[in-house]
Amino acid sequence: MDRPSLRQLGAVFFRYGNWTLGGGSATVAVLQAELIDSRGWVDREAFSLAFGLARLTPGTNLLSFGAGIGWLLRGWGGAVVALLAGSVPCSLVALLVTALYESWSRNRFVEVGLRGALAAAVGVMVATGWTLIRPYWKGLAIERLLVFTGGAVGLALYGMTPIQVLFLAAAVGLAWPEGRGA
Amino acid sequence: MAGGERRLNALVLFFYLLKATVTTFSGLASLPVLRQDLVLHHHVITDQQLNTAIVVTRTTPGPVGLYVVSVGYFADGVPGAIAGWLAMIAPALLIIPLIHFIGRHATHPRLRSMLQGVVLASAGLLWVASLPLARETVRDPLTIFILVVSVVLLVLRKLDSLWIILGAAALELGAASLHVVQGL
Repeated sequence: MDRPSLRQLGAVFFRYGNWTLGGGSATVAVLQAELIDSRGWVDREAFSLAFGLARLTPGTNLLSFGAGIGWLLRGWGGAVVALLAGSVPCSLVALLVTALYESWSRNRFVEVGLRGALAAAVGVMVATGWTLIRPYWKGLAIERLLVFTGGAVGLALYGMTPIQVLFLAAAVGLAWPEGRGA
Repeated sequence: MAGGERRLNALVLFFYLLKATVTTFSGLASLPVLRQDLVLHHHVITDQQLNTAIVVTRTTPGPVGLYVVSVGYFADGVPGAIAGWLAMIAPALLIIPLIHFIGRHATHPRLRSMLQGVVLASAGLLWVASLPLARETVRDPLTIFILVVSVVLLVLRKLDSLWIILGAAALELGAASLHVVQGL
């Protein structure tokens, strides 16, 4: 396996971490081809380890994945470089567009267009709920779906705060591994 | 910039944003926690701004969790955006102790079950959080149509949300220019 310099590592995450449309899965697919097949920096086992543990890490999976790969390749320096290269440029673009929205929001065309975009954004949220469930869907016991997802809906509507619901879900999950009765 | 009734300083804002990102396991899953603190409790941003943050960051490249930067900007300008960026990247470093100490043993059934429980609950919380946003933005037959078609296309066709949001904006503009809906 070739060991990249921090600069090379930063260049890959700058290029593929920021500018690939399609969200985390699309970006990871592109990075897989780049890191394993094209450059030979990591083997499939290391890639899968970082990918799997990124799902277990709180926050944005793609950034955890980048930090994990960076750490495996170049230690703490690699983790920080991958994280900065993969987050600063897209954050600056988001900041710029948000700031521009402020000055454009009173434009009638923007106002009308945004009406449709906001309705679609609600659709994105609803679909994201399904996206979260999908990796577990195959083989997921219906009682686990009812307890965790249905329970979260019920408790949130009942007035429990999201953080309380999440901690409760973690505790129940810890006490109730898959394959055992409730 | 700030559309809410109150302001929080950037450091306090950072801790609220971090609380949301560090307790959830994917981009938009942090939204219900964030909405509870910043919209409902502290009133530093509005539901409309929260929804706009999603629109903005789904029409720009980058991970889904990027909406936290936009939320930070709405709450406290550039210092808020920096707080959002820090809250977005900080949890990612937790993967290092995970690789170091847990490594290949991360498949322990109880650990996997805990993660599954949190992720499945996050989906439910996200659906509940979308209800007030839908009440505010989905008000006529065209926006109902946009919502339904968006969900169907995203779930069944796995189309990128960028094209859905841009298409929805174009559809609303087209309908307004033909006077099917009000606005232009």
